[in-house]
Amino acid sequence: MSDPAPLTTDRPGQVASATPPARGRSRRLSDRGLAVAFISPALLLLLAMSVFPLLWALYLSFTDYSATRGGPAHFLWFENYTAILASAQVHLRALTTLIYVVGAVALQTVLGFTIAYLISRRTHGRGLLTTLFLVPMMLSPVVVGLFWRFMLDAQFGVINSMLGSLGLGQVEWLTRQRTALISLIVVDTWQWTPFIMLIALAGLTAVPKYLYEAASIDRASEWFRFRTITLPLVWPLLLIAVLFRAIEAFRLFDLVYILTSGGPGVSTETLSFHVYKVAFLGFNTGTASAYGILMVLVVIVLTQLYLRYLNKLKED
Amino acid sequence: MRLATAAMLVATTVAACGGGQDDGAKASAPKAPATIPELTKDPLTLSFIWFDWPPAHALEAFANAEYKKERPNATIKVNTVPNANWHDAMFTQFAAHKTDFDIPILDSQHIGEAVTNGNILDITDFVKTNIDVKAYNPYLLAAYGQFPQAETGKRDENASLYGLPLLGDTWTMIYRKDLIGDKPPQTWDQMISVAEKCQKDHPGVSGLAFHQANGSDAAAVTYNTVNGVYGGNLWNAKTRKIDGVINDAAGQEAMDVLVNKMKPLTAKGSGNWFIDEVNAAVAQGKACIAFNWIAASGGLLDPKQSTLGTTREQILDKLGFATLPSQKTNLVPLGGMGMHVSAYSPKANQAEALNFMKWFERADIQKKWAAAGGVPSRTDALESPEFLNAGPFNQVYTDSVARMRDMWNVPEYARLVDIENTNVNAALNGAKKPKDALDDIAKEQQGVLDSGSRKGGGGL
Repeated sequence: MSDPAPLTTDRPGQVASATPPARGRSRRLSDRGLAVAFISPALLLLLAMSVFPLLWALYLSFTDYSATRGGPAHFLWFENYTAILASAQVHLRALTTLIYVVGAVALQTVLGFTIAYLISRRTHGRGLLTTLFLVPMMLSPVVVGLFWRFMLDAQFGVINSMLGSLGLGQVEWLTRQRTALISLIVVDTWQWTPFIMLIALAGLTAVPKYLYEAASIDRASEWFRFRTITLPLVWPLLLIAVLFRAIEAFRLFDLVYILTSGGPGVSTETLSFHVYKVAFLGFNTGTASAYGILMVLVVIVLTQLYLRYLNKLKED
Repeated sequence: MRLATAAMLVATTVAACGGGQDDGAKASAPKAPATIPELTKDPLTLSFIWFDWPPAHALEAFANAEYKKERPNATIKVNTVPNANWHDAMFTQFAAHKTDFDIPILDSQHIGEAVTNGNILDITDFVKTNIDVKAYNPYLLAAYGQFPQAETGKRDENASLYGLPLLGDTWTMIYRKDLIGDKPPQTWDQMISVAEKCQKDHPGVSGLAFHQANGSDAAAVTYNTVNGVYGGNLWNAKTRKIDGVINDAAGQEAMDVLVNKMKPLTAKGSGNWFIDEVNAAVAQGKACIAFNWIAASGGLLDPKQSTLGTTREQILDKLGFATLPSQKTNLVPLGGMGMHVSAYSPKANQAEALNFMKWFERADIQKKWAAAGGVPSRTDALESPEFLNAGPFNQVYTDSVARMRDMWNVPEYARLVDIENTNVNAALNGAKKPKDALDDIAKEQQGVLDSGSRKGGGGL
C-alpha cells in the first residue's frame, strides 16, 4: 500500500501535482465536487438567511406591499425612494443620526485611544486593566439601556442624587431635547469606548520598539515620539475601528428604544428607529424596505470612500 | 460555480417576486360559527396574548382555577410582552398568518386594523346565539367588539361584532386625603388650583402626576382626556376630518391647560412617566393628585410597595379614589380590552376559545372575575357587592361607565396614536410650542387618513 501523495511541496512556489482519488472514494465525487458538497450547506444558509431577504426587501422596496394588509403588491418603481428622499421627517432623523454618530464616535475615539495609550505604557496589571475596561462591551445594549435609564432618572436616579449631594440642581437627562441626545451619546460611549481601546491597544503593541529606542538615542521628546512614531503607525488601525463604530452607530436602535423611545417628541429618533415605526406601526412594508435599502446604500458608499482614503493613506 | 450561484440568486428573486403577487389575503374577517363546535377531549392549551401587567397574571390564575372546573383538559396560558411591544407582537404574527396565541387581547382601537386585515373572527352570529347582550351597557359591548366604530355612548345593533369585553377600565383620580382633604375636587379647574396649593404647602410633593411618555398611548390618552373634558373632539368620524376639529378652540384650550397649567405642577423629569412611574410617585408620597388606569392601581394598596402606611387601612386613610373632575363635559377615557379569536388558530382551539368566551361572560363568572381583581363589563357584575367591595376604586369604574369616550378605532390607529403621542410629549417637554404641536397633530393625522390614494412613501 503506497503512502498518500502530499498536497503541498517543501519548495515554495511549486504547485502540488494532481493526485488520483484515494482508494475507496467514489470516482463520481471529484475534489471539486467534494468542495461544493462541503460549502453548499453554508452557502444555502447564507442565501436563505442573508441574500434572499435582501433581494426580497429590494423587490418590496419598489412596491406598495403591506405585510398585514396582504393583497397583491403593485409596482411603484422609484416612488418609495423619491418620497423618502424628499421627506422632511426623514431629513430630521438623518440630522439626528448624523449628530449622534459624529458625537459618539469622536468621543469614543478620543477616550478609547487615550485609555489604550495609558495602558500600553504600563508594565504591570495591563491584562487586568484591559479586561476590566472591556466589561461594558460584553453587556447587552438592552441591559445597558435599562440600568442607565434608572441611573439617569431625574427623580430617583443615582446621577441626580450625586449631583444633589454636590449642591448641583436636578438635570432632566432623558426628557429635554439636548440632554436626551447627549445622554444617548454618553451611554453609547460608556459601552463602546472599550472597542476602540482594544483595537488601539493592538496597534500600539505592534509598534516596533526599536523605533522608540532610536528616537531615545536621538533624545526625541515624548510628544515628538508620539506625533511621528506612535500616531502614524496606529492611525490606519484606529481608522478601521472608527469605521466599524460609525456603521454600528449609524444603525443605532436598541438604546433609543429603551432610553428615550425617540423622545422628547421625535428629537432622538434615529433613522433605524424611524424605519421600525414605518415598518411596524403602519406596516408600510414597501416604504420600510426602500428606507432600509437606502440606509444600506449610504453605508456602502461612505465605507467605499473611507476605504479609499485608508488605502491612499497606506500608499503614502 | 459562479453560474450556479447566479442562477440560484435569480431563482430566489423570481420566487420572491412571485410570492407577493398571490398573497391575496382576505379583505374582511372570517366568520365564527353561531354555535360552539364540539370540543376536544384531548389536553389543550388555550393561549392568550396581552401585555405584562397585574391583570394578565390575575387572568391566568383565575381562568386556570375556575375554567378548569368545567374543562379539566384545558390549560390557560396568558403570554405577556412589554406594553410597548404589545401591538407589534400581535400584528407581526398576524402578518405571518400564523399565531402562537388563540385569543389576542386587543385594545379597542386595534379592532379596525385586525378586522380589515382578516386577522380575527367575526363573532356576530356567535354572540346572537350565546351572549345576553342586554346584560351590558351597550357602549361597553360596542367599544370592545364592534366595527365600524360606534358613536360615543351607543351601539349599532346592525354592526358586526369581533370581540367581547375582557377587562373594563378607565382613569381614576387618586388624591391624598391627608394633604387636600376628604372631598375630591369636582371640576378640572378646581383640581388644578387644589394641586397648586398642595404643591406650594408641601415642598417635595408635586401637585400632579400623570402619563406623559411618548411610548404606547401614554401622552395621547392624557391629552384626549383633557380635550374631552374641555369640550373638544378628536375627529369627525363621519367626514373623517381631524384637521380643524382636534385643533379647534376647545382643543387649543385643552392643550393650553395641559401644558401651561398642569405640566408645571408635575415633578421635574416626569416627561417620560407612564403607569409604573405614576404609581411609584403616589406610593412614595410624592404627588398630591395623580391620574392612572384603575386596573393598574391595585399595587397602590400594597404596604410592601408603599411608604404611605404599613397596612392597607393606613394607606387608605391617606389615599382617596374618585371619578375624574368634569369641566365643560364629564367625559372620561375608555380603557380596557376585549378578547378576540385569532383567524389562524387551529379549529379545536377556536372552538375552545368560543367556549371560554361564553363561559367568561356568564353572570356568575363575571362576579367571580370581579372578586379575583378583574374589572367586569356586565352591568349586574358592576353593581354587585363582589365587585364594589373588591377595591376602593371599583365604585369609580361603575360610576364612570356612562361617561366614557374612546379614541379612533380605524386601521390607521397605530400611526394616529404615535403622531399624537410624540407631539403631545414634545409639547409637555418643551420641544414644541403647544399650538404648533396641536396643529402638527391635526395636519399629520389628517395626512394619514387621506393617504389611501397616495403612491409611494406610505407611513413616513
